[in-house]
Amino acid sequence: MTQFFQQLSDGVVLGALYALIALGYTMVYGIVQLINFAHGEIFMVGAFGGYTIYHYLLPDNMPALVALPIVLVASMITSGVLAAIVERLAYRPLRNAPRLAPLITAIGVSIALQEMIRLFYPNADRGEPFPQLFPNGQVHFGGVSESYVNCFLVVLSVVLMLALRTFVLHSATGRAMRATAQDPDTARLMGINIDRIIVTTFVLGGLLAGAAGTLQGMVASPIDFQIGFIAGLKAFTAAVLGGIGNITGAVLGGFVLGIVEALATQYVPNGSALKDAFAFVVLILVLVFRPTGLLGESVRARA
Amino acid sequence: MPLLQATGVTKQFGGLRALSNVDLTVEEGEIVGVIGPNGAGKTTFFNCLTGMETRTSGEILFRGAPLPTRPDRVTVAGVARTFQNIRLFHNMTVLENVLVGTHPRSRAGVLSAIGRGPRYKREERKAESTSRELLSFVKLDGLRGELAKSLSYGDQRRLEIARALATDPGLLLLDEPTAGMNASETAGAIALVKAIRARGIGIVLIEHDMRFVFGLCDRVAVLVHGEKMVEGSPAQVQSDERVISAYLGRPAE
Amino acid sequence: MIPMLQRALRIQHTWNLPLRTCQAMAAAAFVLEVVGTNLAWATYTGFPGLMSLSFYPAGARSYVLALSVALALVAVRFTRRRQAGIWASLASFALTLQTLIAISRDGGGLVNVSAGAWITLLGTILGIIAFVALPDDGAPLPSSWPRLPRVLDGLAVVAGIGAAMLLLVYGLSVDPANQFVGLVIALIGGLAALNRLGLFAWLGALYARQQGLSLALIGLAAISFPFTQNGESYWLRVGANVGVLAAAAIGLNVVVGLAGLLDLGYIAFFGVGAYVAALYGNAGLGPSRGHIPFLLIVPLGALVSGLIGVIIGAPTLRLRGDYLAIVTLGFGEIFRIVVNTYDGFTGGPNGLANIPDLAFGSFNFGLPHKVFGITLQGFANYYWAELVLIAIVVFVFSRLDRSRIGRAWVAIREDELAAAAMGINTVAYKLLAFGIGASVAGGSGTIQAHVATQVSPDSFVFMQSVLLLAAVVLGGMGTVPGALVGAAILYAVPEKLRAFSDYRLLIFGVLLILVMRFRPEGMIASKRRQREFHDTEASGSDALSAPPGFAGAVP
Repeated sequence: MTQFFQQLSDGVVLGALYALIALGYTMVYGIVQLINFAHGEIFMVGAFGGYTIYHYLLPDNMPALVALPIVLVASMITSGVLAAIVERLAYRPLRNAPRLAPLITAIGVSIALQEMIRLFYPNADRGEPFPQLFPNGQVHFGGVSESYVNCFLVVLSVVLMLALRTFVLHSATGRAMRATAQDPDTARLMGINIDRIIVTTFVLGGLLAGAAGTLQGMVASPIDFQIGFIAGLKAFTAAVLGGIGNITGAVLGGFVLGIVEALATQYVPNGSALKDAFAFVVLILVLVFRPTGLLGESVRARA
Repeated sequence: MPLLQATGVTKQFGGLRALSNVDLTVEEGEIVGVIGPNGAGKTTFFNCLTGMETRTSGEILFRGAPLPTRPDRVTVAGVARTFQNIRLFHNMTVLENVLVGTHPRSRAGVLSAIGRGPRYKREERKAESTSRELLSFVKLDGLRGELAKSLSYGDQRRLEIARALATDPGLLLLDEPTAGMNASETAGAIALVKAIRARGIGIVLIEHDMRFVFGLCDRVAVLVHGEKMVEGSPAQVQSDERVISAYLGRPAE
Repeated sequence: MIPMLQRALRIQHTWNLPLRTCQAMAAAAFVLEVVGTNLAWATYTGFPGLMSLSFYPAGARSYVLALSVALALVAVRFTRRRQAGIWASLASFALTLQTLIAISRDGGGLVNVSAGAWITLLGTILGIIAFVALPDDGAPLPSSWPRLPRVLDGLAVVAGIGAAMLLLVYGLSVDPANQFVGLVIALIGGLAALNRLGLFAWLGALYARQQGLSLALIGLAAISFPFTQNGESYWLRVGANVGVLAAAAIGLNVVVGLAGLLDLGYIAFFGVGAYVAALYGNAGLGPSRGHIPFLLIVPLGALVSGLIGVIIGAPTLRLRGDYLAIVTLGFGEIFRIVVNTYDGFTGGPNGLANIPDLAFGSFNFGLPHKVFGITLQGFANYYWAELVLIAIVVFVFSRLDRSRIGRAWVAIREDELAAAAMGINTVAYKLLAFGIGASVAGGSGTIQAHVATQVSPDSFVFMQSVLLLAAVVLGGMGTVPGALVGAAILYAVPEKLRAFSDYRLLIFGVLLILVMRFRPEGMIASKRRQREFHDTEASGSDALSAPPGFAGAVP
């Protein structure tokens, strides 16, 4: 039983990470109905952004707890700026093109980003060790134990999610985002600058993905140029599971997926080898039995 | 047996009742008009009939048998429609658009399309001659090779009608067939609708052009706020107090 | 920078210098280029193309020279010359610059670049200015090319296909990577220029008139390719690999190009076929399940793949297209992970190896054979087997495309709801396309297992799916020649560019983005696809000035 709770707890940690990335997918989808296939890579590049700042700009003897916020913010800014660039250069010119075009472009962006990182960082294919900026140690709770850094991950994720929620619900920009998601044409008539809202959405998703990048680096060092691919797919699954376009759904989906994966890895025969397949099985099952996701509205082709 | 018999059609969107208990009967060869202010649920009614939206409740019989609830099966069963915002296949030619319409009346599968036996060829020839005949019926025979998107607005409406006729329907639903047309085009549309009826096809049409509706229809139903307020001959409807007030915006009581 | 280039290439420019001035500049550019290419480019020997010799324009210099002669002709003769001239002069500039940089790099500094290169570079810059400064004269008129009498029509087809074949053989024989890059630049620029002059629209019409002859000649050229290889097996092996993937690309083209469904796990279906062939083809290493004759294996592989495709597709095809993309991607990953995990069944990470060569009776595909006194290495047999497969797939593809079923696919792609209103069972038709695509992949996979003599999970990764997709997109969605050309380019060109292999994927990624942005219909466009992709821009005049592309090349 302890083992069960241990897996559950690990699942929550995993889920927090998925949820952070999933938010980017779901927000962008909500606004422009585009699966930003390159979002996983934006997360990955964010992790490398933080890594770069730490190794090349910060003094070696800087205390870890001072460096941490700097690295975190650096990751977030890297991903946020990258998301804006990708939107501007790759997606915006195709906004009125047939749906296939931006999707294929997204794949191109995804590969190009991976390859740039691989070529730029000498060890990016075997993995660069990410700085460990959090004190070692374990929290014990009953028979369950989690490292400090895992706890930090969950806490920070929840804080960021709440911040996002506040922003979307209570700021003027957030209101404009919701209006645009509902009906872009009317929103435009109401004087909302759609281009700006779309960029903002990409940037917000990028900021969260960047934070996830640093967190991923700290809990699962080393980082390599491919971490975005699988993480992105799983986060996408989480977004669909929760109901794509729905922000609360993405968070819920992230946690559910994390827990399912942690439990399945433990209890399914051969589970650890099949680890990465579970998310897809979940994805396919969701699409078959509840294509709207847990909280979503209809995703069937709109009439 | 009536051609179409819809009883108690209701559509609920969340808390909003877009249609409540709408009944409509269409006899063979009849032209029925559906009018009503914007947002009264006219197009929703069409969508419920054709399976493009699932109705919350209600029964729809076509030639005495329940009408399927999937758009393609509705068309196969013999109910075709046009759309308020014309939905042609823009990058196909005029002729190809109508050929697509013959789809439910031909049956070549993968193997016969690859093998191209005599049956397949006969079927293709027939589809093409049907399509050509329909194009000349709607007076578009000169534009067969043009792209659908390059046609004028009125021509696009007529092409959409030809395409719907190609599915060989018993009942045709026209959603605002004269929207965006000028006076002479509208006159042409009246003649066209009459000619379609003369082919033995029943017609239900949604329109805002009152002269068009009252001059053409055998019967008119008025939808207001998702409910059928009045149904009757054009004369009856025109003189009905409630209709007048609904249109002029005075309270109905 | 790209938008600027775009603007310079397409939109009216304000310079509008008089024609005479421009022609004078073009003439000066021509003189400079001819002089430059006849002088030495490098101070040291050893750079490919004998660059240190004067009066010997070999290697990359010959390409510049050819382009400059062509440019001079364009400047004098043709009326619609601006865009063509810009393309060709840009190409000669890029080509010269690239060679110059390579000489400098290999020799260790700019001092090793001789005057000839600089003179040529100057000439090419002047050439660009000359054509950019011309008043805009719009897109080419198809009628500006003569319509030939019937006999010459046929001869032109023979000559065209012969020239393409010679160019291919020559291209494969160009060895140093630098010079090959130069050739590619020259070809891109030259072909784009010819396209702007309307040559390809004209050729397309020509080939459409002479369809039977064209097809026969192209088939003949493809069949005779092994005889051009002097008994070497290198390019035959490449050809065999390209052939398999070309067949698969056509299958993917049914899914993506005709039905408009994005399949990102396509390589898994290919993998299913390969595993079927390996498991039942007496693989020497790994868990073999016995032996089934190969002629049964091909349909079996296709069938199993197709079934899996239907199982995957049935639930997802009801949803919006984007979901299919992700689910197929997920399926591709599941396939790889599962194959990797259950090693009792599939051989796990090591896969199955030592798959024997195909043999029909005493005819062993793996051994060299003598035909007409020419020794052909074993890969020629596989190459020909694939041609047969491709021919079948192409036949099926084109028959379906121009039938009731093809029309239904196009209708679904254009407007799914309207298609349903025409009585088309949209889910069933999408499923059909998906299943056919999967079957073609499975069938080609069975051959691949024998060509490669081994299968393992590593061969069926996501990137392979992307490469196939890139082949389809780059070549031209919805057209057979597009898929073939795309596959040939994406799989054969990298063989020539091993020096740059590290950048291969990066280039593909960037290529996907650029193609989607600037020429989404691909190199060999289907007419309808072209219209769809330019639908949003098409407001009358724009539609007229849209690049005519290689559109007509599709029979």
